[in-house]
Amino acid sequence: MSAKSQFNTFRSFIKKPHNIILIVLFVVLGYLTLVPLLTIMVDTLTVHSSEARFVKQDIGTFTLYHWKKMFASGVTSQKTFYEPFVNTMVVASLSCFMAILIGGFFAWAVTRTNIKAKGFLSTVFVFPYIMPAWTLAMAWLNFFRNSRIGGAPGLFTVLTGIETANWFAYGLFPIVIVQGLHYAPFAYILIGGILRNMDANLEEAAMLLHASRWQITRKITLPIVRPALLSTFLLVFSSTMSAFAVPAFLGSPVRYQVLTTQMFRTLNGMNPGYGYIMALIMIIIGVGILMLNQWITGRRKSYTTITGKSSNISLFNLRKARTPLTVLLIVFLLMVAILPLFSFALESFIMAPGNYSFSNFTTEFWIGEGRADIANSEPGILRNPSIWLGLTNSLKLSVIVSLIAGTVGILAGYSIAKRRGSKLSTWVNNLTFFPYLMPSMAFGAIFLSIFAVRRGFIPALYGSFWLLVIVGAVKYLPFASRSGINAMLQLSGEIEEAGTIMGIGWFKRMTRIIIPIQKTTFISGYLLPFISCMRELSLFILLVSPSTRILTTLLFQYNEKGWNQYANAINLMIVLIVVGFNLLVNKLTGASIDKGIGNT
Amino acid sequence: MPKIELKHVTKRFGKFVAVDDLNMVIEDRSFVTLLGPSGCGKTTTLRMIAGLETPTEGEITINDRIVFSSEKGIDISADKRDVGFLFQNYALWPHMTVYKNIAFGLENLKWSKEDIKQRVEELLAMLKISEFSARYPSELSGGQQQRVAIARTLATGPKALFMDEPLSNLDAKLRMEMRTELKRLHRETDSTFVYVTHDQLEAMTLSSRVCLMKNGYMQQYAPPLEVYRKPANTFTADFVGSPNINLIKGEVTKLNPITLALPGSINLVFKPLETIGLSVGQKIILGLRPEHVAITEGPSMAEATVLSSLPSGMETIVQLRMGESYLHSVVFGDLDFDLEKQVGLSFASGKSNLFDEQSTVNLGQGLLSRA
Repeated sequence: MSAKSQFNTFRSFIKKPHNIILIVLFVVLGYLTLVPLLTIMVDTLTVHSSEARFVKQDIGTFTLYHWKKMFASGVTSQKTFYEPFVNTMVVASLSCFMAILIGGFFAWAVTRTNIKAKGFLSTVFVFPYIMPAWTLAMAWLNFFRNSRIGGAPGLFTVLTGIETANWFAYGLFPIVIVQGLHYAPFAYILIGGILRNMDANLEEAAMLLHASRWQITRKITLPIVRPALLSTFLLVFSSTMSAFAVPAFLGSPVRYQVLTTQMFRTLNGMNPGYGYIMALIMIIIGVGILMLNQWITGRRKSYTTITGKSSNISLFNLRKARTPLTVLLIVFLLMVAILPLFSFALESFIMAPGNYSFSNFTTEFWIGEGRADIANSEPGILRNPSIWLGLTNSLKLSVIVSLIAGTVGILAGYSIAKRRGSKLSTWVNNLTFFPYLMPSMAFGAIFLSIFAVRRGFIPALYGSFWLLVIVGAVKYLPFASRSGINAMLQLSGEIEEAGTIMGIGWFKRMTRIIIPIQKTTFISGYLLPFISCMRELSLFILLVSPSTRILTTLLFQYNEKGWNQYANAINLMIVLIVVGFNLLVNKLTGASIDKGIGNT
Repeated sequence: MPKIELKHVTKRFGKFVAVDDLNMVIEDRSFVTLLGPSGCGKTTTLRMIAGLETPTEGEITINDRIVFSSEKGIDISADKRDVGFLFQNYALWPHMTVYKNIAFGLENLKWSKEDIKQRVEELLAMLKISEFSARYPSELSGGQQQRVAIARTLATGPKALFMDEPLSNLDAKLRMEMRTELKRLHRETDSTFVYVTHDQLEAMTLSSRVCLMKNGYMQQYAPPLEVYRKPANTFTADFVGSPNINLIKGEVTKLNPITLALPGSINLVFKPLETIGLSVGQKIILGLRPEHVAITEGPSMAEATVLSSLPSGMETIVQLRMGESYLHSVVFGDLDFDLEKQVGLSFASGKSNLFDEQSTVNLGQGLLSRA
């Protein structure tokens, strides 16, 4: 090719907006995801300032100390790594089974049986997922904490007089229950989506060929749903593995450590080197899981053919079990989705924890001026400047993050779909999805690692609000870019070309043609980052400073200090904001978080 | 043998009536097509006979056995009706090989391994797909998938075979081939076929009887050529035949002889072939098949102008303006006509149908001549 024609090829390449977007995203995302990965590897091999004393080397020099200590130092390794690692795997697998069992059962009941109140069931069932992960953990403590460890006994003990056992109140058991319930809606949405889209003819064909209901389930339905089930398992596994808040709330009282809590301790304490190794391991597991997932969904017997009309699906007749099962599920939902909220309200209004008599009720923790004898004169949360600061920070952060992530997501989706199949597009697609695989806290850790010092023209961002914005925007970009890509793939390219031929500029094509057509999907792309950000703890907890604190980190601090009433009040506030916002957007635009989840 | 009978069958989805009071007898070993535009209730009817859909009211018998009756509270499930069903999108199980797909029904009937093998191989050979037996459905073309679906349905030897637009996902050439194949299968398997389609050509060429439906009502149930020659109303007249029948509005001006006035002062004498009740001033619609509109050099019944001419070699479709109405004519042979040319028309070569304009029903057949 002559130099001139090469130049011309380049010129026509650069003239197209989607190419420019792809290149910019490639550079920026490469810098924000791959470079940190390198620095974190370096961090596992260098001496940090807090470690110089016991490593007995100069700060910043090369060392294998962390790796040796973590993996090959007998009891130390056992306590710092192997035990939490095994705990993590056990917790993640069991929670996963819980989630799939409950979510799968709900999905089957709602899509395949003639159960009543389907609308109510499917709306309310998603609540535990919309609410922050620790909501149920706090509710669990409110009900079941015992006086041996938790100080004041919980509601259950007060009402029944039965002291809860430690294994029941803290550690593995409640963590699995709570995480399982939290991720059940996720499983429900994924499995329900498959069941809904599965061509009913496939089952009818089997029935006409004399297969019994049980045979149909075993030989047709399950094998067809299996890849989706496996994929759900893997996605839930990677989420539960990287969960921090729930084990922190329920595990810490009995020193039940998992990788994330251990990572938080070491990164915040004397041994950041350990923490970075753990972050690295979690990232590797996360990436491994996703590769496995892609391999499963891309195999020979690929199930792309399973879309069809399933309007005339024949529902399983529950007969006599219909009403009892409906009632049972509704009661169950009220217990996991509504009751916790009451417990927060209740806890935030009592003076001495554990005493639920009327005389013990107080509004001190909401509107009090602060008393010297309670919680270091901390004022009630409605007149507490640090909580107002946290609230404004949280809202500001969530709005900015969702604007950035949502907009970049649309542009990324547009460009990726436009150049589908090209190398550049595949790369950018993987880069936008990469943050999804990274455990939140590990992601926070790598940003801590890279932005702790000045690098080139980028100043040290630690302690700045913009660091939170960057990390949030990158972390939640996958949600937005998924919905962006989906929206664009549904749209025939000819729709935009019709505009191009009429001489309409790119900006106008986007704002007047493409975005209005796929409005709902794009709005989910904004909604999901907002809500996720509003309830995020583990991503930000390593990165906040006193001036940039947000509601969730405040909640965590109050809880650690044992100021139970404040923590409950803040939690109620977060839940109401998140759920209220979701309902509002849903009413106004028809976009909803469950649609977004179904897309990822 | 499997005679299928529907008595007063009605299906409602909420307020929407999909099928309304359908009565129909499907004779043993016949090939019946349910024909109509989309949403007319034909698929619902088929699914109700197969037992995949529960009628709201009525009674269905297969082989004199009541399989559904709303009054007697009988509803025999689909797998016990001994029927086969071919789905529009084939519904092949993606996780099973071709062999497994076909063997599935036999396994459920607890056949021995050798018998299953023999039967499946027989079917594979019959449908000419032996070399694909180890493949998965996603690795087959549309036509091959179709054959697998047919083999799977035939495997258990059902006495009645139901097909829901089985050819609609195939390209034109394959469709032609499969039509021949289906007719051969019908003869070879000796069973009753009920076939849903919206393609009138398929219905015409394949079936021994056509059931034409519209908005849940049966319009006509007759052998295809009878539907073509003597449509029950203007809807069936218009639905069957390509190019469409010419429907010209007019008025009866005289009774002896019956004279029809068509717009643009064209007058024709209608000589009925059966007793027909008409009155002067009655608004009618005259139905003329395009092949009965002849362009003549000799004595003509009316003058017309050529608007377009579409020669395809074997025949030429000519669009004409006669008075104030428009007509299609099919002229056989490789002819072409100049546009705007004045030609003479004759309608003497076939029977025409006369419909009442208000009720649209067929009043009777007759021959046309110049007034």
